[in-house]
Amino acid sequence: MPHQSGNSQRTESPTRLLRQFMWSNKGWYALSMLSIIASEIVMVQFPNLLGRFTDALSAHRLSGRMILQYAGWLLLVGVAYVILYGIGQLRNGQLGRAFEYQLRKRLFEHWERLSTSYFRRRSIGDLLNHAMNDVRAVREALTGGMNLFTNAIFLLVTTLVMTFRTISVRLTLVSIIPLLALPVFIIWWGPRIREASKSAQEALSDMAAVTEESLSAIRLVKATASEPVESARFTEKVDAIVQRQMVVFRRSGLFQTLIPFTGSVSFGIALAYGGYLTVSGQIALGSFVAFTLYLAMLITPLQQMGFVFNYFQRASASLKRLEVLLSEVPEIQDPAVPAPVTHLEGEIDVNLPAFQYPDGSEPVLRDIRFHVAAGQTVGIVGRTGSGKTTLVNLLPRVFNPPPGTVRMDGYDVHDLALRTLREAIAYVPQDGFLFSATIGENIGFSRDDATPQMLLQAAEYAGFRREIEQFPDGLDTVVGERGVTLSGGQKQRAAIARALLKDAPILILDDSLSAVDMNTEQHILAHLRRIRAGHTTIIVAHRLSAVRHADFILVLDGGRIVERGRHEALLEMGGLYASMYHLQEAAVEEVTS
Amino acid sequence: MSALTPSEQARRGGNRSMGSLLKLLPFAKRYRWHFAAVVLLVIVYNATTVLPPYLVKIAIDSDISGPRPNLHGLWTISLLYVGVVLLSVAANYLQILLVQYAGQSVVREIRVALFQHIERQSMAFFDTNAIGRLVTNVSSDTETVSQFFTNFFLSMLRDGLSLVMVVVAMFELNVRIAAWSMLLIPVLFGISALYRKRLRRAYQTTRTRLSNIMAFLAENLAGIRIIQIFHQEQRQAARFDALNRSHRQASVVEYRTSVLFNRTFEMLGNAAVAAVVWIGGGAVLHKTILFGTLYAFINYIRQFFQPINAITQQWNTLQSAAVAADRIGQVLSVEPAIVDAPNAFPLALEAVRGEVEFEHVTFAYKSEVPVLRDVSFRVPAGSFVGIVGPTGAGKSSLMSLLIRFYDPTSGRILLDGRDIRDIRQTDLHRAVGFVQQEANLFTGTVLDNIRLFRDDISRDAVIAAAEAVGAHEVVNRLPDGYDTFLYSKGANLSMGERQLISFARIVCLNPRVLILDEATANLDSHTEALVSRGLQAVSANRTTLVIAHRLATVRRADCIYVVNQGRIVESGPHEALLCRGGLYAEMYAKSGAAYEDGKMVQPI
Ligand SMILES: Nc1ncnc2c1ncn2[C@@H]1O[C@H](COP(=O)(O)OP(=O)(O)OP(=O)(O)O)[C@@H](O)[C@H]1O
Ligand SMILES: Nc1ncnc2c1ncn2[C@@H]1O[C@H](COP(=O)(O)OP(=O)(O)OP(=O)(O)O)[C@@H](O)[C@H]1O
Ligand SMILES: [Mg+2]
Ligand SMILES: [Mg+2]
Repeated sequence: MPHQSGNSQRTESPTRLLRQFMWSNKGWYALSMLSIIASEIVMVQFPNLLGRFTDALSAHRLSGRMILQYAGWLLLVGVAYVILYGIGQLRNGQLGRAFEYQLRKRLFEHWERLSTSYFRRRSIGDLLNHAMNDVRAVREALTGGMNLFTNAIFLLVTTLVMTFRTISVRLTLVSIIPLLALPVFIIWWGPRIREASKSAQEALSDMAAVTEESLSAIRLVKATASEPVESARFTEKVDAIVQRQMVVFRRSGLFQTLIPFTGSVSFGIALAYGGYLTVSGQIALGSFVAFTLYLAMLITPLQQMGFVFNYFQRASASLKRLEVLLSEVPEIQDPAVPAPVTHLEGEIDVNLPAFQYPDGSEPVLRDIRFHVAAGQTVGIVGRTGSGKTTLVNLLPRVFNPPPGTVRMDGYDVHDLALRTLREAIAYVPQDGFLFSATIGENIGFSRDDATPQMLLQAAEYAGFRREIEQFPDGLDTVVGERGVTLSGGQKQRAAIARALLKDAPILILDDSLSAVDMNTEQHILAHLRRIRAGHTTIIVAHRLSAVRHADFILVLDGGRIVERGRHEALLEMGGLYASMYHLQEAAVEEVTS
Repeated sequence: MSALTPSEQARRGGNRSMGSLLKLLPFAKRYRWHFAAVVLLVIVYNATTVLPPYLVKIAIDSDISGPRPNLHGLWTISLLYVGVVLLSVAANYLQILLVQYAGQSVVREIRVALFQHIERQSMAFFDTNAIGRLVTNVSSDTETVSQFFTNFFLSMLRDGLSLVMVVVAMFELNVRIAAWSMLLIPVLFGISALYRKRLRRAYQTTRTRLSNIMAFLAENLAGIRIIQIFHQEQRQAARFDALNRSHRQASVVEYRTSVLFNRTFEMLGNAAVAAVVWIGGGAVLHKTILFGTLYAFINYIRQFFQPINAITQQWNTLQSAAVAADRIGQVLSVEPAIVDAPNAFPLALEAVRGEVEFEHVTFAYKSEVPVLRDVSFRVPAGSFVGIVGPTGAGKSSLMSLLIRFYDPTSGRILLDGRDIRDIRQTDLHRAVGFVQQEANLFTGTVLDNIRLFRDDISRDAVIAAAEAVGAHEVVNRLPDGYDTFLYSKGANLSMGERQLISFARIVCLNPRVLILDEATANLDSHTEALVSRGLQAVSANRTTLVIAHRLATVRRADCIYVVNQGRIVESGPHEALLCRGGLYAEMYAKSGAAYEDGKMVQPI
């Protein structure tokens, strides 16, 4: 598997993304920090003014006008503070949301490039949780965390400076010894909180996964009276969340209370040691009082620091989870230098010694060799699990064939631009997936410019037109999620119409007539023969009536081609195909005889 | 299309949010003692935070600056201080733990209730509600609500307590001025009321848009293969971008509103101080009040606004929790369309004979167009019935009615002569098994998938069931046999293999009435033959209803019903239907592999 652009991939990891984001917005960040700091500086004037006012008032040095002046100044300072802080806060908020937006965008675009084999391993609920909760955690740290952080750092520094300036440097130094524990705490608890919140997020993911899975299978759940079982499965996941969240809170709570505790210990030391110094006359009482007042002011920013670091630890746990997600290298990528074609004629050449799923224990396809000339119709039949779907999935590179094994128009599919390759193939998957849009939008999925006539034409070929026209809303009928409000056969025919509208050089139908009745099947097949004349068509089927007219038929068994040839020839061979045929014909025979 | 369209949500939400939050309170009842303990701890904690300055004062007055400085006393005070601080740390830590535990537990209860409520809904609910939205309800809205029980509760306690203390102190100082200051309270409420609507609307829009994003993601991740094969990545990305962008926009508006709101209060606080300085200063000049009173008052007003500001911060939490609660409440308030009758009959599974009867059943998904019209038929216990007909005729709908995914518009359905609406749903679902064309598999081992996570079904029973339907060899081929781990939706199995698993499952569950809805459509003829032989063996004396497009599958049925456009147009055994030369005969003629454009080719 090609990993050529693994490096370019890594540059987009969320941490990198965050750094890039912050760097490219450094002006804004500087602005918001400055305005928060400025607001704090302005705010310091508030108590100063009040102090001066009370001093002057108690000394009876004030006139009515001066009182008004003081009040005016106070108001001005108050307003300036609110505005400055508000600006910083708003900016940070906008930046955080801009990053949230970018992260989600990045996630979706990343997911769009990952291959089917990736999504098989992941549950949708888990991915949703990443996009929902992890992204939010990062954003919260980036806004609320940033505001508090700036604030706390500023207060911490100014308070410390002030304490140093109040006489005894020795007293200050001795008193702030406990603060040295801060980095130790952060180093000790940081990773532990991070790890705990990672596992809490995983528990949330698990719950989302069970919810999504259970609701997707709701028909089965109800029909088998499995609600209690599902409820138990769900409860188990929810309990795991509670349990793991409590681990987070135990750790972060301890961290959060111990950080301000260091400040309190400092205060205690100051009280004892400073008191001693005062008593022994080494420092003045006034300095001692001022010193304790300043030290008391340390507690608040320390509390905030505790908060902020919790925020940051959780966010970094989430960031890590996102990083794991985003660092997944798309297994199927555009070639570095695509072959110089943009249109394929539809010739296919497969020369596949073996294909094995990444997590399979042995190859599911072996010695598959065949050639399809442009315009031919190929039938593929075989027992359940014989590898038919796997084989046709290799053509549009839903799964990656080994390099050089699948060629179209003489080009290795690995060398074709994905766009060229996939535009050349129209595919009706075995479980025709529909979106919860209108029927028209579903049929016209491959082209925005399709007119209603074109849509109806495609529906006509798929034997769906009459019913669409009978629906009260016609093409505008909304089908539920995954098409739940359509019948099985309607879903399948919508998927066929969607593929036919694409009008691609190669059409693949993977067991796509299984849910329609015989009349409809014959109708669709007749149309197919006509409109696909001269275009390559691959039909996978269990009902042999669907492949009877193929130019040649491949019979798969256990991952190998065991028979090949035209219908008549295969019948004569008297092998697997013939026995299938007789099983299906037995009924008719019974009656006609 | 969705029952909870965004505009509807916004419209309905406005007046009900707070009520929805209150409706969630009963979930907290079990934890009331936890919350009570938190109240105690908060009081202890608040007390410990006001003590230190007092201790310093004692230290200064009596030990340091007193007439006889007393080092011994100083040490005692310092030790006392350390004790108080330790108490404070302990109280704080315990309070965090307790409140979070209570909060998480409440959320746990809400989640479980919500999940169970959703699973109780009838199929009509799932036809219209996007799974991604429901997942958002269960995982994200509940998370937001939890903040109400933790942050909001704590802040109300802590800050409320401080506020009360300040107000009491103000009144003690000077009743008249204090009374005048209380004029601020209506102003505060006025401002909150003014912002409330805007805030709530902002939160609502953001939440709705977030859940739109999630619904889009859920669907597109499920259909990512289609997007890739049809090479529509760019268009879908553009659609996602539009949703994402509009969410960001709403989120910024929300944030701006809440910042504006909080800053307004802070501004008010500062203005109040300025006003006190102005008015009080004048009063001091005119000697109406003492300087000391003014001085104290200035401090109190500042202290008054500290908790107020903290509470207004939490006002945001309250609003967003209320909006989330409302979204949860909207789901919780949807009464399941299909509920057990109050006097529902408990069905003894062994006693079920399996006679099924439809009496003049008419049914429409959306009230205008009936999908089934006046359908009547009776299936004797233990018989094998085929149901055939063109696609979209209403065959699956017919069977959905039998297991009460929906209730008929008119007419009734009887099981053993009893209206199925009088049977408890769980009993009905145990008695009637349903295998659909789309096999649903879960993340987990093959074993668990076959027995549907029911531990009371033994491994041997599972293997026996798999052997009965011919799934045993298939499972054995898998890397770890019955312990092979299947990815979600059974993604690492072929379609036919998934169907085999669901067959084994139904045999395992052993229902009295068995419905197979095109359950063999993705099987090859050999496997199908194997399965039907197996099913015949296990279904020897149970009622079996089989929907099939491959007529060979139902050829041996005791009776075949031909459904067309919502009516039963023909019925009878295979031969009789062929002789009639109607729709069945026509379909049958076309069913052979040898059929070719109208003429019949004799098989060799
Ligand atoms: N993602 C996967 N990982 C591992 N094994 C897989 C995966 N997908 C399919 N298989 C296995 O590969 C084999 C071939 O599967 P495939 O889907 O190609 O069968 P098929 O011929 O299409 O069968 P059907 O007629 O039932 O659709 C099966 O045994 C299946 O269990
Ligand atoms: N959940 C639903 N909501 C609204 N309409 C529905 C719903 N399910 C089915 N229908 C409509 O009811 C009609 C009958 O559907 P039904 O699934 O019963 O057909 P069917 O006979 O099983 O067809 P098929 O052979 O294609 O499975 C169809 O026109 C279909 O569009
Ligand atoms: Mg297949
Ligand atoms: Mg159906």
